[in-house]
Amino acid sequence: MKITYNWLKDFVDIKIPAKALADKLTMAGLEVTSLEERDGDYVFEIEITSNRPDWLSVVGVAREVAAITNSKMKLSRVKSPRPTTHDPRSISITIENKKDCPLYTAKIIRGVKVGPSPDWIKKRLELVGCRSVNNIVDITNYVLFERGEPLHAFDLDKISGGEIIVRRGKAGEKIVTIDKTERRLDKEILVIAGKDNPIAVAGVMGGEATEVTGSTKNILLEAAVFDPVLVRSGRQKLRLQSESSYRFERGVDPETAYNASGHAQNLIREICGGEPVYAQEKGPVKNYVKTLTLSLDDISRIIGVAIPVSKIKSILTKLGFLVRPKGKRALIISAPGHRQDIAQEVDLIEEIVRIYGYENIPVTLPKINPYVDNSDNARNRNLVSAIKNILVGLGLDEVITYSLIDRAMAKECAPGIEPVSVLNPLNSEQGVLRSTVIPGLLQSVSVNLNQKQLYVAIFEFSNIFLGPVEDLREELVLGIALCGIKSNFSADQGLIRQQAGVLHLKGILEILFLRLGITGYAFKDESGCLEFDVFTGNELIGKITKVKNSTLEMFEIKNKDVVVLEINLNKVFPYAKTQKKFTPLPLYPEIARDISVVVKDDIKVDELLKAAGERGGSLLESARISDYYKGKQIPQGFKGLTISCTYRSSQRTLTESEVNPVHTLVCAVLKDRFGAQLR
Amino acid sequence: MDIEAIAAQIEADIQNVNSAQKLEEFRIKYLGRKGVLAELTGSMPGLPVGERATFGQKINALKNKISIFVNEKQGSLNKPGPVGAVSSGVDIGMPGMAQDLGTLHPLTLIIDEICGIFTRMGFSVVEGPEAETEYNNFTGLNIPLDHPSRDAFDTFYINKQRLLRSHTSPVQIRVMKERKPPLAVVVPGKVYRPDAVDASHSFMFHQVEGFMVDKDIRFSDLKGVLETFAKAVFGQDIKMRFRPHFFPFTEPSAEVDISCIICRGKGCSVCGRKGWLEVLGAGMIHPNVFKHVGYGVKKYTGFAFGMGVDRIAMLKYGINDIRLFYQNDLRFLRQF
Repeated sequence: MKITYNWLKDFVDIKIPAKALADKLTMAGLEVTSLEERDGDYVFEIEITSNRPDWLSVVGVAREVAAITNSKMKLSRVKSPRPTTHDPRSISITIENKKDCPLYTAKIIRGVKVGPSPDWIKKRLELVGCRSVNNIVDITNYVLFERGEPLHAFDLDKISGGEIIVRRGKAGEKIVTIDKTERRLDKEILVIAGKDNPIAVAGVMGGEATEVTGSTKNILLEAAVFDPVLVRSGRQKLRLQSESSYRFERGVDPETAYNASGHAQNLIREICGGEPVYAQEKGPVKNYVKTLTLSLDDISRIIGVAIPVSKIKSILTKLGFLVRPKGKRALIISAPGHRQDIAQEVDLIEEIVRIYGYENIPVTLPKINPYVDNSDNARNRNLVSAIKNILVGLGLDEVITYSLIDRAMAKECAPGIEPVSVLNPLNSEQGVLRSTVIPGLLQSVSVNLNQKQLYVAIFEFSNIFLGPVEDLREELVLGIALCGIKSNFSADQGLIRQQAGVLHLKGILEILFLRLGITGYAFKDESGCLEFDVFTGNELIGKITKVKNSTLEMFEIKNKDVVVLEINLNKVFPYAKTQKKFTPLPLYPEIARDISVVVKDDIKVDELLKAAGERGGSLLESARISDYYKGKQIPQGFKGLTISCTYRSSQRTLTESEVNPVHTLVCAVLKDRFGAQLR
Repeated sequence: MDIEAIAAQIEADIQNVNSAQKLEEFRIKYLGRKGVLAELTGSMPGLPVGERATFGQKINALKNKISIFVNEKQGSLNKPGPVGAVSSGVDIGMPGMAQDLGTLHPLTLIIDEICGIFTRMGFSVVEGPEAETEYNNFTGLNIPLDHPSRDAFDTFYINKQRLLRSHTSPVQIRVMKERKPPLAVVVPGKVYRPDAVDASHSFMFHQVEGFMVDKDIRFSDLKGVLETFAKAVFGQDIKMRFRPHFFPFTEPSAEVDISCIICRGKGCSVCGRKGWLEVLGAGMIHPNVFKHVGYGVKKYTGFAFGMGVDRIAMLKYGINDIRLFYQNDLRFLRQF
């Protein structure tokens, strides 16, 4: 909201410069976001919080200025003479529902001269960002900015049937508002109607048909109080925000309405001429006053400082509250009518410390009770942190991508899962909650390939969302994507280039499983050559996938292979064993034997090793692949492997003669069961 | 050969070593696998048992002497070489060889830092779901339906009762309904608001929420905890100020500014010439919130605060565009 220094001075003596006033207002909760010197005045832009509609006016801010600068308000009661003549063609006012419209006042002024406004009004309106229309409309706006009560002036002669009816809109009804837009009405929208048709959207905007123009002679000046919720839902429905609706939906009090109406009548007589001939009010005459008990002990209990009673009284009195003692440790406080935000004791406490100054509250440290969180959630958080550090150690970069993604991308990367839609998305690219992290990863890969990165290795931890909507589940997943050629410099071998592939992802998972103490895992090739299922125990926890070219095209990735993995961490965590246990170091030396074999390509190495391990019995400590080769010496369709076997006993030093027969058995099983040729 | 004669011969040969090549010849002659000392050692079994020990000691003494000489001479021969000479066989100008390390996302780093500070103060970390109920996100937090205070929280809806949380505060409701005070909790997480994306807005961003509830938790404690936090994150010399503000779920409420970390309060483009940066919203938990979770309002008091992680990361790292966090350009990510 904009407000000017000189305008404020109409209502309060200000002895400090504009800049100092801006700082004081900011520190009292009226944040001044800009201060500009213009035309011999200063324009303050103030952010008014939604709980303080009483600040949405010059008078409201002036009251605050008086309280924080210790000066007096210059506001006197508005005296507007009630018309003595009774207009024979008076107008009848009907309010269909008092809850929708607690107060409606109408003043009829005849014989006004509509024309341009005097310069002082034009200038002030312009400084606060309001366009000048004509003197009548400008006066209603001027009073709105000054008093906080939105007013509306109708051309009396255009109101049909001499009737004002405050009622809900009817289905099928329409109105053209003064912004020349036709708007559909319904029973959720409050309107001001003449006998036949609506003439204004109540509290939001007037109708074009009854607006005050150059030829207007007689006017009806409306000042009312409308139900904030109704104004709010009405303007939301019509997508029509105005200075009026902004104030009405935050709350306007009856006393302000009466005062504003009287003040506007006086200005109109003074500037536009004319004679008030009729006035009518429907609604309460008095403001509702809230009375609360304030316990002095509660102030120190909540704030941590004992503020002297005299200080409390002076602060509240300056803010317009009525303060009476109640025993030794309490006060009875009555709030002024414009303070509709005051509902309970703590609201008063805020007012006291706001003016007392937050900077005057001491700085203390609370007593914190030790609490060790042993929940699964705490444990899982630690696991996530451990996994992140391992992945970073393996050279992967963490990414964070959007949870809202394109439906087609979600379905492409998680086929068979219907993603959950957002009802009000910004656009279709962010239309659904992600059912998989893979689209985000692929987009990140694409961004980096466009930046000419040769190698992209990224991971993301994120929740995915699985429907149906009524039973929405969130699962924490880990996604990894690898793409391109990783180059490592080696002084011995020059540049070593490695194309990222499925086995790299497997390797990463194996390291994670090892570090997390997960032993019973398996990788299964169930669905052809592009997808590999990952199991812990018998549970499918995720997939390693070589992304199809058709999918990559969707992400504008061309001529590159991308491998991705997604695992559901909620399924992995229960298998993690973070408790370590020491295994004694071997006491006796090992005997190592290598076997070089050539086997057909379709022989699975893990099966080969498993068979060797079983046959080697208790003496075979480990059998692992120490070399793998294809090429000139190996026939097409075959691969060469070197298996390093380590034999050891925990009881004694093994001898050659003990190991040899076992090793022969191991070689034999490779030959017999897998058709391995020993080299 | 007599061991004393060999010792004398060594002394003589040492005098003639004046090049790396001669040094190597000398070393091989005496220390080589078939060198003089190896030969001597080999002759030991032929000696009478009583003499073997002394003989062995003498051999060892010679070995040591030669080794020390060789090492020292090697050093002195290498030292005054011409500039850039490759003498050790290693070009230290070549790139080092190591496994590449990846990086954690800058927002992860900031969240870890923030949560780390609070956990060291005794807070525990709790997370909550991103798809929330309308009740936890709004009503339970004293943000009534059809109230202008909702305007600050534009929200993505999934259906009538479910939405993407627009702040991390709903976790307050979850924790307070599940546990009884004393509570000291921080909540990091993603939040969502339908804001069109530009350099300073994102429809998805991150917050850290914190709250503490017990008997006798006061506004002054809130000031102490946040000051401790802000100094840990932004430096011991920053200034801090609490400004009255309005949040539906706290009363009294405050916005918390720190002196601009760029210009140190003088006024610059980052702080909009104000000298202050708004970094936190905070306040004493509203009695209506306690009523919603079934806490006695006369028994307990508490404070709550919340901050935008993205904004803090931007300030700390000097990042001027929030979109960089979600584009994941490696040239950006690898700077952290």
